[in-house]
Amino acid sequence: MALNVEQSGNSMILSLGPQHPSTHGVLQVLTQIEGETIVRADPEIGYLHTGIEKSAENLFWTQASTVIERMDYLSPLTNALCYILAVEKLLGVTDRIPERAQQLRVMLSELSRIASHCVWLGTGGIDLGAISPFFYAFDLRENILDLFEVSGGARMHPNYLRIGGLREDIPQGFLDRLDELIAKFPGRMRDLRKLLQNNPILQDRMVDVAILEPADALAWNITGPSLRASGIAYDVRKAYPYSGYEQYDFDVPTRTEGDAYARFLVRLDEMEQAMRIVEQARRKLVGGSVMIDDTKIAPPPKETIALSMEALIHHFKLVSESFRVPPGDVYQAVEGPRGELGYYLVSNGDNRPWRVRTRPPSMYNLQVLKKLAIGELIADMVVCIGSLDPVFGEVDR
Amino acid sequence: MPSPQAPPLGNRAVDPTAVRPPLDDATIERIEPAQLHARLAALRADGFTVLLDLGAVDYLDRRPRFDVIYHLLKLPLDATTPQKAGRPPRMRLLCGVDEGVKLQTATDLWPSADWAEREVFDLFGIIFEGHPDLRRIQMPNDWEGYPLRKDYPLRGPALEKTPRPEFALKSNLVAGTPASGKTAAALAKQIAKARGQSGA
Repeated sequence: MALNVEQSGNSMILSLGPQHPSTHGVLQVLTQIEGETIVRADPEIGYLHTGIEKSAENLFWTQASTVIERMDYLSPLTNALCYILAVEKLLGVTDRIPERAQQLRVMLSELSRIASHCVWLGTGGIDLGAISPFFYAFDLRENILDLFEVSGGARMHPNYLRIGGLREDIPQGFLDRLDELIAKFPGRMRDLRKLLQNNPILQDRMVDVAILEPADALAWNITGPSLRASGIAYDVRKAYPYSGYEQYDFDVPTRTEGDAYARFLVRLDEMEQAMRIVEQARRKLVGGSVMIDDTKIAPPPKETIALSMEALIHHFKLVSESFRVPPGDVYQAVEGPRGELGYYLVSNGDNRPWRVRTRPPSMYNLQVLKKLAIGELIADMVVCIGSLDPVFGEVDR
Repeated sequence: MPSPQAPPLGNRAVDPTAVRPPLDDATIERIEPAQLHARLAALRADGFTVLLDLGAVDYLDRRPRFDVIYHLLKLPLDATTPQKAGRPPRMRLLCGVDEGVKLQTATDLWPSADWAEREVFDLFGIIFEGHPDLRRIQMPNDWEGYPLRKDYPLRGPALEKTPRPEFALKSNLVAGTPASGKTAAALAKQIAKARGQSGA
């Protein structure tokens, strides 16, 4: 299709995907191989393109976060958080978000980072033939999804964050279950590390495979754990703190090797750091409201709607025509599980966004496959893809 | 035809650069298409090692119609700790482009511009000269129109272009519920219609 090459004597073209268990979604990689060595790789994306940006432009500011959560379906909260922070910046209400809402946002987005890394860890293990870690990782993920379910009502796409705060306060029992998870986590991480980290088979497959030099990582626009595994400690949470991240004490794990194993270790360390932040947020959690005190943005409390006509009208206005956002453009970035997730929003003063542009970390991270896979063995292609951790909902949007 | 759900058009498409409140950490600069590549090269030489993102906005009634937006990040190679990385400066270049105006590619400066430019081409129809492989990336190769333009309808073309293979149509007929005459008739009608389209 796209790979126009002159067939030389020994080379052969192999299409990996789009339906292949270790492409982590619908990715097709047209590879040219000589013997077992990859001499050219051309990823074809777009199989999952659903026009989310276009849809978001046709929805109210409040509704758009629902479709935006569907982009990175492994950590939907992070997407919603980034979009909502951008809208709040445009509205000029960033400083007025209640402390409790901010702490819960941090807590939930770190939990979704762990949940997302659990999928990467489990499926990455399966790629290399390690089946059992998958169950350990998904069991941990299940506990986190349970927490999303009690707080937001849904496991995958809770749609719990709102412009101005959270939809509602966390229910009773949430913190107890969180404490159970916090207590369980270190043991589970030990198990996972024991199963994988020093596993000689895994090391054989990952060490010195798909090395990404720091200069290349920058030129190819790699962010997140993959960049930090190449020795560059760029983390949006430290560089441009949002939602009060500057108040939390955490490290940015880095490695210098830049190979698949380094990316693996950085993500494992990151899970532990994420849990550190969750614990701190749990300890610091203050009381109070979880929604901004601004009737232009926040809907009236549910219980007042049946009693007061004004509240009913207010609610009706917000639901039927939402609110207007002052004109302007803004770029907001957060540190997603895959790297810098950014939203560039343009408002023309209407109740719908004029433009929602995503900076999809997965897409840019995946693009480097064109360079990374060259010279590797065809069997290592799955390691290359797995170590970059792409999510195709976000690559294709 | 704009979709009925599209936001009101006309003079409402404002240029945000004219009204932008001071919100951002980034330095913002507007640039003409002719100077774009030289400016990008100068910034690259100045240490803007990362082309964070490249996107476009369609302002429809404005002249020039489109904005192509470059987000740059000045991240040094020796930023091995968060302290050393600090707050790397961000830069945003906005380049107004009218329909038919071609931009010079940035792939020679940052290889990561490859897919980003292909996406802007695919969804907005803006052409990047010198791009090594400028073809559609998200939409199928034979797609018509540029979906993220504001005058492109939300629902896209009315007919599905991809013809269904013959065996799929046949298996539908068998696997359907033919016993109650109504469903079977409706199904047969649908299939005949689909066949007519795929045959055309």
